[in-house]
Amino acid sequence: MTQRIVDHPILGSIEEKEQVSFTFNEKEYYGMNGEPIAAALLANGVRTLRHHEEKATPRGIYCNIGHCFECRVTVDGKQGVRSCLTPLQEGMVIESGGTLPTPVKDWSAKNE
Amino acid sequence: MTEDMIICRCEEVTYKELAETANKYNCSARELKLRTRAGMGYCGGRTCRNMVDKLAADLTDERQTQITLKYQPPIRPIHFGDLGGGQS
Repeated sequence: MTQRIVDHPILGSIEEKEQVSFTFNEKEYYGMNGEPIAAALLANGVRTLRHHEEKATPRGIYCNIGHCFECRVTVDGKQGVRSCLTPLQEGMVIESGGTLPTPVKDWSAKNE
Repeated sequence: MTEDMIICRCEEVTYKELAETANKYNCSARELKLRTRAGMGYCGGRTCRNMVDKLAADLTDERQTQITLKYQPPIRPIHFGDLGGGQS
C-alpha cells in the first residue's frame, strides 16, 4: 500500500483498518476492510478495471461517485457492480468485463 | 475541441461523428442520439447528455424547438435476473 495517502492535510490520517484479501482476475490482492474496491485496486497499482465491450479500450475510475458506471466489475458473480461505491469485504472474487462477441454498431450509418 | 475527442464514453462516439451527423442531417438532439447512439450507453446518458444536447443546439439552425434528451427507463442499469429471472 505504498501509494495510499495515509496522512491527508485536510482529511487527516486514516486509521489503519484490518487487512482483507480479495482476488481480481485470479490475482491475490490486499486492501483495507470496507474501503471502495476501486480504491483498494488503485492502492495496489491496478487502474484498468475493465475493457470496453466493443473496442477493448481499457477503462477505470472516471467519476468515482457512482454516476458513470465506468468502474463496473463483476463481484462474486454479480454483474454491473460499481467498484467505486462497493465496500471491500474479505474473500471477494472480482472479475473485470471484456469485449462481447457481437458488436452493436454493425447496423449504423453504412446500413442506411 | 479536437476531432477525435470522445463525447459519449459508453458508446465511444467522437465529436467528429456527432458534428458530421448534426451537419449532414441538421438533426435535433433526439435524432442525433438515434443516429450515433451517443447517450444510449450503459450509463444512460449521464456523462454525455448535456454535451449531445448542446451540440445539437449549436450545430443546427434553431428552427425546431430544441427538446432535450429524455430520461429513458430503466433509469439505472438493472440485471434481467433481478426483474424476475429463473428462480429454480
